[in-house]
Amino acid sequence: MSQRVLIPAVRQRPFWTASRQRAVIGYLFVLPVLATLLLLVAYPFVYAIWISFTNETVAVSGQYVGFANYAYLFGWSSFQAAIRNSIVLVVFAEIIKLAIGLGLALLLNEKLPGRGFFRGMVLLPWAMPSFVAFITFKMLYSPTGGGFDLILGDLGLVSQPINFLSSQLALPSVLVATIWRGFPFWVISFLAALQTVPEELFDAAKTDGANAWQRFQHVTVPSIRHILLIVTLLSTIWTANSFDNVWLLTQGGPGDGTVIFPVLAFLGLTNFQLGQAAAVMVAPLPVFAMLIVIVAGLLQRD
Amino acid sequence: MTTRAVRLTWSYACLILMTLVILFPIYWMVGISLKLPGEIYRDPTLVPQHVTLANYVTLFVDKGFFQYIRNSLIVAGAATVISVFISALAAYSLVRLKYRMRDWIGRMILFAYLTPSALLFIPLSVIMAHLHLGNTRSGLILVYLTFATPLSTWMLMGFFRGIPFDLEEQALVDGTTLLGALVRVLLPLCAPGLVAVSIFTFSGAWSELLLALILMTSPDKQTVPVALQELIVGDVFLWGPIMAGSVVSAIPVMVLYFAAQRFVVQGLAAGAVKG
Repeated sequence: MSQRVLIPAVRQRPFWTASRQRAVIGYLFVLPVLATLLLLVAYPFVYAIWISFTNETVAVSGQYVGFANYAYLFGWSSFQAAIRNSIVLVVFAEIIKLAIGLGLALLLNEKLPGRGFFRGMVLLPWAMPSFVAFITFKMLYSPTGGGFDLILGDLGLVSQPINFLSSQLALPSVLVATIWRGFPFWVISFLAALQTVPEELFDAAKTDGANAWQRFQHVTVPSIRHILLIVTLLSTIWTANSFDNVWLLTQGGPGDGTVIFPVLAFLGLTNFQLGQAAAVMVAPLPVFAMLIVIVAGLLQRD
Repeated sequence: MTTRAVRLTWSYACLILMTLVILFPIYWMVGISLKLPGEIYRDPTLVPQHVTLANYVTLFVDKGFFQYIRNSLIVAGAATVISVFISALAAYSLVRLKYRMRDWIGRMILFAYLTPSALLFIPLSVIMAHLHLGNTRSGLILVYLTFATPLSTWMLMGFFRGIPFDLEEQALVDGTTLLGALVRVLLPLCAPGLVAVSIFTFSGAWSELLLALILMTSPDKQTVPVALQELIVGDVFLWGPIMAGSVVSAIPVMVLYFAAQRFVVQGLAAGAVKG
């Protein structure tokens, strides 16, 4: 017996819906950047970790040597110096830049006449190329004809020129130059954050009887918390991985007095020790990863 | 004095101190570049007694600084053009279009930005050697894309987001393609933003030292930062020409930077005005 079979009319949906077209275009447009980053960032990142586990040199391809490089590093005085110097440099630089940055941002946020001029001034150390800043400081620090010794001498504060880049003074000198170069970033960032805080919040706090310090604690700080975390993270990573400052001022010297990881790795590369140089830069990565995770966590907590 | 007057005095005192601290090194750099060696070393003074351009002459004639500037212009210029172009495409895709991996890709770009060149320079030097791009300007341009593209993309995303979709939507309703809307509506609105991003990217590429130092091994291919670095890593420093080189390297970038500030403001305001 044959039944009448009802074949429902099915409307054919086109394959290329508008949203599919857009998705394809989306992938296509993002492809050049994605390819660039995969090939030139992601792949080298993994490759660097791989190299750190080999004894690769510039001439000879590397053999896997396990943790030999790392074992060597942690017993090596130069690497230990790099750890000490990095911690000192980063901690002091960030704290001082935070203090100066926040202080100046608060000042520049006030309706002072002429603040446009001062805001322009603040940009200068950041606007110049970083190598120019550090080469200039190298000259300022020079005991023969350097600007700082000239001023100290003219003011009668010293009888003999101080070599700011010798032994004990080298790291503080690098620190000062790094702060000079880097503080504008903090000022600008805090200023931008402060300017998004509506005037009414401060007025409300004032009418509630809060004094300046309380207003700062309960209105200012929470408003800039977000930016503060981001800037701290970025600035810490940048300072810890900075090369220009140490290399141009002291090349890591005197001795190991100012070596930090990038300089050590660079010296390793010029000595053809690729495996060890890679290990020098890979070793601190867990610290940065932890920092990123902590800051990301703190940012989520809004 | 009233508390207000005291506060004002302190405020201005701090700001003036800040200005002096900022200006002194710059003043020093320019001053040294205009002094003769005698005045620099034997008889240093805070104010130049004789102003001379001899250091600049030495810099360009003896040290052949023109070729370093040429190299820097080529590398930074090409890296900027390529980077802004592909970043504009990527930023448009990440802001205006929806697809499954969009957030993941956005996060990847952020992490790429956080990855320091100090880590990448070792594998990149090996990779460039394998590709026979070591010591070539093309190789350096390629390598500069590693930091230029995440930064450009992220900045352009900010500018694109600031412009409401309504105008492009209007154009689409009127019959243009997606690409047409991008080119004919969004880009002209974003022009100041594009200029600002180009300037920041160019400045970053112009100032880069480590990667250029590693990759460019022959003197005639070196960029400006590397050339200046060579002058100070030895034992004998000719501070006059070195400072002259610093001034010459810094001025264009600083001028551009201040111009960029205005373009940034314009770029951010574009969305507000038209929307």
